Amino acid sequence: MKKLFILLFIGLSALTVNAQNDDAQLQGTVKVEVDGLACPYCAYGLEKNLKKVEGVETIKIDVENGLAILTIAEGKSVDEKTIRKNIEDAGFTPKAITKKSDG
Amino acid sequence: MKLAKLIGCSCLLIVTTMVSAQGPPIFTDTPIMLGVQGRGVRTFGNIISKENANAYAQVLVVPYNITSKWQVAAVVPYVSISPNVGDSQSGFGDLKFFTKYQLYKKDGKGKTLRGLIKLTETFPTGNTSNSPPLGTDAYQTTLSLVNGYVTTKYGIYGEVGYNLAGSGLPDNLIYNIAFGYPLLPQKYPPNQLNVFLELNGNYVFDNVGNNLFLSPGIQYIAGRKLLFESGIQIPLAEAAPANQQTNYILRIGARLLIF
Repeated sequence: MKKLFILLFIGLSALTVNAQNDDAQLQGTVKVEVDGLACPYCAYGLEKNLKKVEGVETIKIDVENGLAILTIAEGKSVDEKTIRKNIEDAGFTPKAITKKSDG
Repeated sequence: MKLAKLIGCSCLLIVTTMVSAQGPPIFTDTPIMLGVQGRGVRTFGNIISKENANAYAQVLVVPYNITSKWQVAAVVPYVSISPNVGDSQSGFGDLKFFTKYQLYKKDGKGKTLRGLIKLTETFPTGNTSNSPPLGTDAYQTTLSLVNGYVTTKYGIYGEVGYNLAGSGLPDNLIYNIAFGYPLLPQKYPPNQLNVFLELNGNYVFDNVGNNLFLSPGIQYIAGRKLLFESGIQIPLAEAAPANQQTNYILRIGARLLIF
């Protein structure tokens, strides 16, 4: 029973962390891992959808490494949830989103 | 002749597997409704050489993505047929509409596995009052499953469909498989040179027989919005009677991203 509570607690904590991450405000240069990015000709929709996000200044698509590198305009921030939704709407699967300096 | 074809096909297979290309296949359908496959128009010319006639079909395909999972499209062919004996005929052929819906998608880093269901309806809009006819004079419904596994290194595509033909025409089973390899490094905006090797089959029921083509092709993607492609279909098996068989079908086309 104790184990069950511990597992439940860990599960709820993970959900909470995810929820917090999704609401994160992004600034500066952001690295987005995009799964399903297997062909350069497919990436146009991804680029177009990310351009729609207010505050995104430049987008660089790295097909070989499955990445979209976004530069957020100075003094602006972008909602992580919006980035994820626009990637999904483009037909891809968003994974980790990190500040570029994080690696 | 058959030995020469076999040797030729084997050489093409070896050459295309030695090189390391992928984009949308030229004759086989793709489950990826992205980029030029979902936001652009496609046009191609088919030069058809038969033992008893030569024909040319200019086809315009206009797809539109309602969502990233659901696409509708119209296919408009303009056909010109010159038989060895008799008058030539030109005009619009049978109009088609199709819809595709993505059934599954499994994405990974630099790879994707996708499958969709496709429903095509053919309308008998081609003139059939003169000979040779420009259409089939039959409403036809095709239900297909299209699958593909695409990575940054290669692409494998498969399509199987059942065509319900009306007006007493025999039904047929459509089966296609395609392999694609990129010759240039993958980058965006694209500058891609891709080669393909496809097998395009069509089994016609009611004891008519099997049609099978080997189809090597090449494709150049010039930037974000423009793609050029060409492929040739070489018959390996044909159901048509002697002296009506296909020598080859040469396709030259382009896709332009507009939406």
